[in-house]
Amino acid sequence: MPPATAPIAPRRPPAAPAPPPRRAKLLSGLGSWSDRRAELTLGALACAVLVLIGLMVVFVFSKAWPSFWHNGFAWFGGGGDVDRQLDNIYNGPSRPSEYVYKLHAWPLLYGTALTTIAGVVIGLVTALLAAVFIVEFAPSPIRRLLEPVVRLLAAVPSVVYGLIGLLVIIPFVNNHLIGEGRKESVAYVVQLNGSGLIVAIVILSIMITPIMISIIVDALRSVPQGWTEGAAALGVNRWRAMWTISVRSVRPAIVAAAVLATARALGEAIMLSMVSGSRGFAPNPLDGLTFLFEPVRPLAATIVDHSEGLSVTPFAQTLYAFAAVLLVSSILLSLGGWAAKRPLARWSAR
Amino acid sequence: MDEVTSTAHRAAAVPPPVRRIVLDDQPTVVTPGANGNGNGNGTRTPAVRFAASDTAARERMRVEELTIAYAGRVAVRDVTLPVRQGEVLSLIGPSGCGKTTLLRSLNRLTELTPTATRGGRIALDGQDVDELDVTLLRRRVAMVFQQPNPFPMSIFDNVAYGLREQGTKRPGKRDLAPRVEEALRRAGLWDEVADDLGRPALRLSGGQQQRLCIARALAVEPEVLLLDEPCSALDPRSTQTIEDLIVRLRAEVAVVIVTHNLQQAFRVADHVAFMYLGELVEYGPAADVFGNPRARRTREYVSGSFG
Ligand SMILES: Nc1ncnc2c1ncn2[C@@H]1O[C@H](COP(=O)(O)OP(=O)(O)O)[C@@H](O)[C@H]1O
Ligand SMILES: [Mg+2]
Repeated sequence: MPPATAPIAPRRPPAAPAPPPRRAKLLSGLGSWSDRRAELTLGALACAVLVLIGLMVVFVFSKAWPSFWHNGFAWFGGGGDVDRQLDNIYNGPSRPSEYVYKLHAWPLLYGTALTTIAGVVIGLVTALLAAVFIVEFAPSPIRRLLEPVVRLLAAVPSVVYGLIGLLVIIPFVNNHLIGEGRKESVAYVVQLNGSGLIVAIVILSIMITPIMISIIVDALRSVPQGWTEGAAALGVNRWRAMWTISVRSVRPAIVAAAVLATARALGEAIMLSMVSGSRGFAPNPLDGLTFLFEPVRPLAATIVDHSEGLSVTPFAQTLYAFAAVLLVSSILLSLGGWAAKRPLARWSAR
Repeated sequence: MDEVTSTAHRAAAVPPPVRRIVLDDQPTVVTPGANGNGNGNGTRTPAVRFAASDTAARERMRVEELTIAYAGRVAVRDVTLPVRQGEVLSLIGPSGCGKTTLLRSLNRLTELTPTATRGGRIALDGQDVDELDVTLLRRRVAMVFQQPNPFPMSIFDNVAYGLREQGTKRPGKRDLAPRVEEALRRAGLWDEVADDLGRPALRLSGGQQQRLCIARALAVEPEVLLLDEPCSALDPRSTQTIEDLIVRLRAEVAVVIVTHNLQQAFRVADHVAFMYLGELVEYGPAADVFGNPRARRTREYVSGSFG
């Protein structure tokens, strides 16, 4: 206890605040960026992006219009050899009133759907199993090796995959998997040379799997430990807990991964043009196994394969029509992903 | 009468599992019955407690010379402890003394930690838990965690989860509904959620979530219920609800509750085990441990000098 007589120290007057240095003023200028201003700026940016996308859609469709208009719904149908039709458009008369537009694009649309859907389905299943393995079952040395490898694979340019397909896989398929008999059986319709549907699908799925693995692994990692522990405490084994709790709770990430991979598969042009056989042919499932070796050419590959023809107006308009279809597909894809994720959000915490 | 039975029981019981305290002839495992724990709860008449602890079959689990280490660092050392049906056993002690570790070892959840090693025996109904199928063991010995951890699904699916995962053939919703309702009623949550069982469990309040976790554990009809500080993240009202629930459950399942809240241990426990630095310092009826602790450590802890 202090003695009562102790003099009370006089209170110091508060020091006058030093004038703030210049830098501080600059910084505080930034700091005074109110939420409102940030909101407005970001909102404007977002709007600009939307307007840009809108303009792009309008531009592509206005260019593509003649092709759709001349063919009507038959544009989406089959009939005739689509590659010959493309040649006719390219070689048609140069007077605008005599432009040739006739096109039945079904083989290209079918080829796009076939490669994309098969590639994504195979890739997604593989990615899911691989991610589950990496997160839950891999011994840690293997895990430590696998993860960087997966990230590396996700970054390999698609043309490299195309090259490997061209130099390694196609000769292998041609020499070992397709027998002479098989080649002869369809020789009157199409030449089989190793490149074709199965090679395209396999390389496409290899190409899109790593990014899906990465996304799903990250999501599985962030599943709260309490959930898996809670399941274990109820006598559920690791494998069941993984599927019923962890994988279930990362469904939004799985959808996101699938959407991203589908977008990449839809837009993949170079690699597919190198390994798909690049023929406007619709593989026929009735051919049995031969179906897998028949050539295709998806839309994006068709565009790169024919980009030298852009100087011919009706041909350019036809290519724009392909682009328009791809654009609409990717918009529908985003909407589909959003619609698939929406009901899942309900279960997450707030 | 009182004296006779307690002597008989003492004769039948194993040596007192007290460590570190040397006492001449006083038994540490005293048959409960003579003294209540003083909170005057109507449901806990001495007669009921007496009957409950009378038969030898009452001892459901037994931990013997249990030692658990994490990567060589001992967290639980040489603990011997019985777990009886029809009473609540409370583990108390300062944080880090190994309560959670001991509790998790009872249904072999410590095996989820790769660095954990275990020595000693744990028996469920006389059978070594290591010889039991871990899945079956965990169904018989259920656990509720410190942090409420409902699964990201509906209330119904949360409670039904264990039931659905039990059999090879999945029971239909129709078969599950009565069992889900029963579990929610036992956990005292039914009235609050009955109107919409399809609601996401993660939107419930913390107290409701914890009761949902208790319902989830009860749905598989365990014989032993382990609770690890179930109220540490909850408000007083939810705590009250869960304490009432524990006292009610006592008749049907053997309850082990870890708590660092002495008041709570005093309110719900029949027997109390006090742990300190991984060792079991004192075990006995709640009234004795709180009212007349034998060890100096216990006395200090109970009177609030440390911890
Ligand atoms: N998973 C773990 N890995 C390593 N050490 C752990 C682990 N869990 C607990 N421990 C250690 O074991 C001791 C006991 O912890 P715990 O059983 O959680 O105590 P309590 O529940 O009484 O607070 C502590 O020293 C803690 O650091
Ligand atoms: Mg603890």
